[in-house]
Amino acid sequence: MEYAPVIGVGTSAEGQARSLWYDAWVRLRRNKLAMLGLGIVVLVILLAIFAPYITRYDPTEQLIWTEGRAAQLAPPNAKHWFGTDLYGRDIFSRVVYGSRVSLQIAIAAMGISVFIGTVLGALAGYYGGWIDEVISWLMNVIYAFPFLLFIITVVAFLPPSLTLVYVAIGLISWVSIGRVVRGQVLAFKNQEFVEAARALGVSNRRIIFHHILHNVIAPVIVQATLGMGSIIMTEAALSYLGFGTQPPTPSWGLEISMGQDYLLSGKWWWSIFPGIAICLTVLGFNLLGDGLRDALDPRLKQ
Amino acid sequence: MRRSFVLLLAALLVCGLTASVLAAPKYGGIWRDALNANPPDLNPVHATDTTSAEVIYQIFESLVEIDNEGNIVPLLAESWTSNEDGTVFTFKLREGVRFHATTEGGKPTANGGREMTAEDVVWTFNHICDPAVNSERAYFVDMIKGYADYREGITDHLAGVKALDKYTVQFELSYPFAPFISILGYNSFMILPREDVEKWGHREFNFHPVGTGPFKFEEWVQDSKVVLSRNENYWMKDADGNQLPYLDGIEFRIIVDHNIEWTEFLAGNLYQVYVDDPYYEQAGGTKMTVNPETGLKTAVTNLGLFYERPQLGTYYYGMNVEKPPFNDKRVRQALNYAINREVLIDLVLNGRPSPAKGVLPPGMMAYNPDLAGYTYDPEKARQLMAEAGYGPNNPLEIDLYYNSSTLHERVAEAMQAQYAQIGVKLNLRVLDWGSLLDGVERGEYGMFRMGWVVDYPDPDNFLYVLLHSENIGPQGNYARFNNPRFDELTKLARLETDTAKRIQYYQEAERLVVEEAPWVFIYHYATFSMVAPFVRGYELPSFGQYANKFRAVWLDR
Amino acid sequence: MGRYLVKRLLAAVPVLLGVIIVTFILTTIVPGDPARIMLGQRGSPETIAKIRAEMGLDDPLPIQIINFIKGALTLNLGYSYRNNMAVTDAILARLPATGMLAVAAIIVAVVMGMSLGIISATKQYSWIDYGSMLFALLGISAPTFFVGLLMIVVFILILGWIPGTGYGDGAFIYLILPALTLGVRPAALIARLTRSSMLEVIRQDYICTAKAKGLHNAKVIFKHALKNAMVPVVTIIGVEMASLLSGVVITEQIFSWPGLGRLSIEAVTNRDFPILRGTVLFMALIFMLTNILVDLSYALFDPRIRYE
Repeated sequence: MEYAPVIGVGTSAEGQARSLWYDAWVRLRRNKLAMLGLGIVVLVILLAIFAPYITRYDPTEQLIWTEGRAAQLAPPNAKHWFGTDLYGRDIFSRVVYGSRVSLQIAIAAMGISVFIGTVLGALAGYYGGWIDEVISWLMNVIYAFPFLLFIITVVAFLPPSLTLVYVAIGLISWVSIGRVVRGQVLAFKNQEFVEAARALGVSNRRIIFHHILHNVIAPVIVQATLGMGSIIMTEAALSYLGFGTQPPTPSWGLEISMGQDYLLSGKWWWSIFPGIAICLTVLGFNLLGDGLRDALDPRLKQ
Repeated sequence: MRRSFVLLLAALLVCGLTASVLAAPKYGGIWRDALNANPPDLNPVHATDTTSAEVIYQIFESLVEIDNEGNIVPLLAESWTSNEDGTVFTFKLREGVRFHATTEGGKPTANGGREMTAEDVVWTFNHICDPAVNSERAYFVDMIKGYADYREGITDHLAGVKALDKYTVQFELSYPFAPFISILGYNSFMILPREDVEKWGHREFNFHPVGTGPFKFEEWVQDSKVVLSRNENYWMKDADGNQLPYLDGIEFRIIVDHNIEWTEFLAGNLYQVYVDDPYYEQAGGTKMTVNPETGLKTAVTNLGLFYERPQLGTYYYGMNVEKPPFNDKRVRQALNYAINREVLIDLVLNGRPSPAKGVLPPGMMAYNPDLAGYTYDPEKARQLMAEAGYGPNNPLEIDLYYNSSTLHERVAEAMQAQYAQIGVKLNLRVLDWGSLLDGVERGEYGMFRMGWVVDYPDPDNFLYVLLHSENIGPQGNYARFNNPRFDELTKLARLETDTAKRIQYYQEAERLVVEEAPWVFIYHYATFSMVAPFVRGYELPSFGQYANKFRAVWLDR
Repeated sequence: MGRYLVKRLLAAVPVLLGVIIVTFILTTIVPGDPARIMLGQRGSPETIAKIRAEMGLDDPLPIQIINFIKGALTLNLGYSYRNNMAVTDAILARLPATGMLAVAAIIVAVVMGMSLGIISATKQYSWIDYGSMLFALLGISAPTFFVGLLMIVVFILILGWIPGTGYGDGAFIYLILPALTLGVRPAALIARLTRSSMLEVIRQDYICTAKAKGLHNAKVIFKHALKNAMVPVVTIIGVEMASLLSGVVITEQIFSWPGLGRLSIEAVTNRDFPILRGTVLFMALIFMLTNILVDLSYALFDPRIRYE
């Protein structure tokens, strides 16, 4: 997982916030690669939402029972743009519907990471002392743990479900966000406006949530966008190893792994199309994340 | 034109084959083969899996063995007799059988290559049943007299096994037990040299196995390869009196992925390969000729010789009959009527296994070819479901638990689609093997995938083990099937020595099971193997490819 | 420097303890009995009970953890449930394969990444620049297993340049594809970072000064810019170590590479918990040591950094 330390985001006063976001948007729009990334991400989201309207076949419909061998492992053709699989299912439908699983897991796992990372990071940074030490220790432990093995161990032994997959991923991928938030909070907590709030008798919780967190939103958004790509890849790797999504739910990783056997005997379409889908989606999130980082923190650029 | 060329080529190869049977075997060469996992344990006493067994069969030998057609034949024992009621078995051992004299690069073994005698048989069975050794399969022979006393520490030896003289061993059983001889062919009951086992200890013996078999252990590089070499003192000779084995040695490479195994075979780096479904056609699977007598199918292509035959095993979805909705017989029957086994096998499994009508696979004693079983009848299935109270307004939703593997995946997804046709929603739940076994044994899962391949070729190993109420739970009856008449029949058959009567008992018992349907009977396994074109003397055992032996295999090149 | 090292090593101890505790909790709360898996289908309850006792599975968790730590201090990590091999032996047996793969992947990453980055930076906005940046973007976005799969299809099946997968007793040709597969992602990251830090350095005054002094262009780049660009590269290696170790797990699976990654995955499927704990601990240790080394090496490339 990529971890880019983000140092101090410029301003903080509420009134300037709108212009900060507006400036960022202007900068983002000027970045061609970032807009390409945004385009890909929006496209994937649209595919996921409108999947039933885009596809001709139900992704779980097995045509071999009615159409026989002819429908089995058919190469790409006019009816089936990406061909069919062993059961005569339409691979185009499965790739389109597969975006739902990927996005669902990525969003849920990222939600968990952002939540845990922000809360623990803020606590550690604001209170310091033993709270900071315990949380930092936990972050170091998780960081040192081979993360794929952690997820596999959790997912392999417990009754399988989609929830388990994203909870497991979320539980281990919050550390980079936690560190960013902790660093930001540490840097801000002694600044004037926080001390002013404290002097006015604002409670600690309010200070953390209203004032400081307001300033960590930008770096968290950057981290989260970049992290989406890693989560999608992790989910695919899990499904590929047989520990992830349950069939017949179309998942890109599972498709690749089931198609792999046939790939080597020349029936390439079952694996290759879902593989391209993963690469493109991850690429989209990475480009967008890079763009957001540059846009939200002009000081980091060049 | 091209087709006739292939035919010609095939004809030539077949001629070549027949000719080569007559030709004198050539000595030398290393057999290059693959194992699909790092073998867990090369000590027969602790081995429980087929990967270990494949290596164990080359290094060790048991008193009797199961031949390629599934019959019990002499190996270390030359002959045997039993008393009238089947409680005393006396074995005459083969003379002049020696344990390996050297191992692991020519190092002398602890036994020094001495002769195997009756004392070794007595010691081996004492060792297996020794409570301190804790052999995983010791309970297979719990009918030997004195077993319980020895296990509980009341006696310090197994009373029921005695050496009558240097080459005669006697086994005494606590009660008549018909399948006893066939159990002795199981791969845990190999005769071991006491000195070497004691030198290493029974756990470490795994890494330094020594036996009487045609090949000696040389080297085991974890996760990479197992190397064996020719036992120059091997006792067996071929029909012309030539010393066996012909090969200089065996190298098993550990290759987990079948696809990789296939590419390695095509590259000429392996002489035997597992033919997974995607390669079936390429391997010649669609153009096989069948030997009606043995059921052995063969195809000759320029890639090699492809063998396939029915294996003594059954693939099924068990249903926990204690758990709703599976406590309703109509539901269980409906789930059996709802699947089209023939199309499933034909389209998803390349037509390799055979549809299962009942529990016992073809080739097994008491197999009943006239058993009606369940045929595809979605109407009947829907009707039974309706009677059980399920329909479009109250659809049945069930979870199927199975362990992760491409094969199970392929079958499960097809089953799911078929059950959807009768309005049953099948949710697939993939687990690792350990979790599946655990939940199934505790009766937690309503429906689960299981398969059973025989340990010893006797219906007892299917019907009694998998469905008798004594064995509910970890012992093998995962469906928790409990039927007094069935229990009685399978018990009677255990004690009976008259084969005709046993067959009668088993067939009646099986009819009961089919009627009660604690399983969705899916298919009987096929075992298969492809060997390189220059391989001679290879035979595919009906017991399963993993039981193949290389003592008479040679390379014609 | 020496004191710094001792401090870092001491700080690693509680983290490793944490890793041990997490592993134990994970492997204890999961359903399924390792003793059962050893027995295969059909085991007698009597044998299961005996094996559980033999494995120490009946001890309470804190006792199991303390016993494990005691053992670990004497380099005894217990014995495999599956074949009773000492865990340290099992790890040592796989270490050469994984070590070779990891080192080769890092070499691929550094050599490929830095050369692409340097070429891109010196020829900014040329087709070489766009090409290598496209490669870098794809390298970051493609999952390791998919890259591996494509490598097998292209180089083994279609082109036939590589005889097959597997370890091949350590023959170099078998190392190429796994090392490339594992090295692509860090190579892509390094390429991007090298490019941007080179660009930054090239624009800085001292390079201009050097150029003004009439030093040859290439020489300038290598002498000054490269040394500075090493810092982000080293950082990437440290940060990517976690990804690399996870990548090892997948790459070894795809290429039938007899290393620690495969050992750990098989330990999961067989519930061979001693092996799993051993490999996790070992990987965590490697991860932390690399990070300490990375921090130390900053001093080497950036004279401004000194460790007290």
